[in-house]
Amino acid sequence: MTRALITGITGQDGLYLAELLLAKGYEVFGLVRGQNNPKYELVRKQVPGVQLLTGDLTDLSSLMRALDTSTPHEVYNLGAISFVAYSWENAHVTTEVTAKGVLNILEATRLFCGSDPGAVRFYQASSSEMFGKVQQVPQSESTLLWPRSPYGVAKVFGHYMTINYRESYGMHASSGILFNHESPRRGPEFVTRKVSMAVARIARGLQETVSMGNLDARRDWGFAGDYVDAMQRMLQQPVADDYVVSTGETHSIRELLDVAFARVGIDDWSKHVELDKRFLRPAEVDLLIGDASKARSVLGWEPTVSFEQLVHMMVDADLADVEAARS
Amino acid sequence: MRALVTGITGQDGGYLAERLASDGYDVHGLVHDGDPNVEDLRSRCPTVTLHTGDLQDGPSLAVAVGAADPDEIYNLAGISSVAFSWQQPVLTADITALGAARLLDEARLLQERRGREVRFVQASSAEIFGNVGGVQDESTPLAPTSPYGAAKAYAHQLCGLYRSVGVFASSMVLFNHESPRRPPTFVTRKITQTVALIAQGQASELVLGNLDARRDWGWAPDYVDAMVLAARAPQPADFVVATGEAHSVREFALAAFARVGIADGEGRIRVDPSLVRPGDPPVLVGDAARARSVLGWAPTVSFEELVGRMVDADLPIEHRQ
Repeated sequence: MTRALITGITGQDGLYLAELLLAKGYEVFGLVRGQNNPKYELVRKQVPGVQLLTGDLTDLSSLMRALDTSTPHEVYNLGAISFVAYSWENAHVTTEVTAKGVLNILEATRLFCGSDPGAVRFYQASSSEMFGKVQQVPQSESTLLWPRSPYGVAKVFGHYMTINYRESYGMHASSGILFNHESPRRGPEFVTRKVSMAVARIARGLQETVSMGNLDARRDWGFAGDYVDAMQRMLQQPVADDYVVSTGETHSIRELLDVAFARVGIDDWSKHVELDKRFLRPAEVDLLIGDASKARSVLGWEPTVSFEQLVHMMVDADLADVEAARS
Repeated sequence: MRALVTGITGQDGGYLAERLASDGYDVHGLVHDGDPNVEDLRSRCPTVTLHTGDLQDGPSLAVAVGAADPDEIYNLAGISSVAFSWQQPVLTADITALGAARLLDEARLLQERRGREVRFVQASSAEIFGNVGGVQDESTPLAPTSPYGAAKAYAHQLCGLYRSVGVFASSMVLFNHESPRRPPTFVTRKITQTVALIAQGQASELVLGNLDARRDWGWAPDYVDAMVLAARAPQPADFVVATGEAHSVREFALAAFARVGIADGEGRIRVDPSLVRPGDPPVLVGDAARARSVLGWAPTVSFEELVGRMVDADLPIEHRQ
């Protein structure tokens, strides 16, 4: 039986990936950080088949112990401090976890592999935030990186370290450059979920307005369930490599608002949306749109959920939550 | 007066924030991003100012200390479980030992920069004494038997060192102190929660490890008062904070059963040997004579009353005594 170890198991992607791997017959181990992590029970409830281990990306020996316990064939490093805006307030801890944490888990994996560096296949969750001030449209695996936030800078470090462990030690280490990917499990600090939750509450009369930043920012948004499928495919390739994963379509925040409000029958949302400068980023990234042709041709991957379907899925789930909370 | 509290979302942090706010302090707290207990804290103590940071992250402490500009710093944050400290000894050392070092050093820097005293109170633990057993006071040799105890011992001794270079740093050697806010991972709360369920017919038995372990259990808000008194004392020092009375786990459970009117509590207890902690000392009791005489501190809640309050809080109102 194939065994996988997932860091960041309590996050959106960790949960989807765990479900996917369990469905494929894997034995799945998840690393949970901290004592009394409140998300521990959430993982146990949503994916009861996962075996949870305690560890922390900033604590190398805890990672080595987790590898010894799980003896995995595949390691998926999804753990990170993942919120771009907060990374300015928390630049140091973002660097410790999101950058140096990658080095720790790569090194733990290398040491665990012993004399056969390819014995464990490694996946690093990289991000389109690495493109920041974009140098080319659309962005592919060969586009020059120009991160514009501590989070982006940290992810660039992790990306290059993954490539260096592959090239220097011969590890089977792949980096997936994932563009934005959303779902009903997205944290409420992300703009898509913030909108879907607010729209559901506005539709049911629980709130009047939602405060937004830059309505013209455009993003390439996919469905998280599709993106974890790309991760698993990368580790089944004979040779490790880097892949952009994206839909290739962009939509503005304005369009997100259009589709989300339309789902609850509100066509003119202007009175429900307030502009708040606090939500503007210190340095906005430019047009992020991914060219996933390599993932499509080599991995045979393609997105299965459209932008409208994704927004509907999220609004519907939040409406159901609002109803459940009422009854 | 301004105070900065780390671990402000924990049991003691919440009581301390409420106490200081009611004394008219401007209370600042250090929290993690996304700490789920922040809402709860804000509802109890709406005036608190929160700063994002982490004891592992020195620069975040510098920012928080700079922004709060505190007269008093209470370091309550840390790994809180002996068992967890065996799972992640390195993280325990980084947070509980080095974290205290980082914060003490920020206190010293702040004092040097602004030329006004900063008073530092460290939440230490009876775990620094390890398994010697018997009655312990400030002169008992440190002999920790877990990474948790060792990390707390390091922080405790560092307070003494900083004292010797002119920092007002007091280390409070707190024996077990409980309240309805204890998480159920602690044996006391596990007992009161389970007994409350049994009283309502929703559970049938209470499963425990070593029934004969005797501990010195006090009321958490009393222990928070001791920390506040230490911060306001003329001189810094180490202070043992304890009731001086030992009660066994069995007595705790029976007192809880008695509170809900179950006379035959013993019959509802099942012992699971896998819950017995290896090397658990038979008796831990503290002698708080120094805190009593120097700080004028005394515990205000008896053992029976402590158990009763915890059981009551776990019961719906109609079931309470």
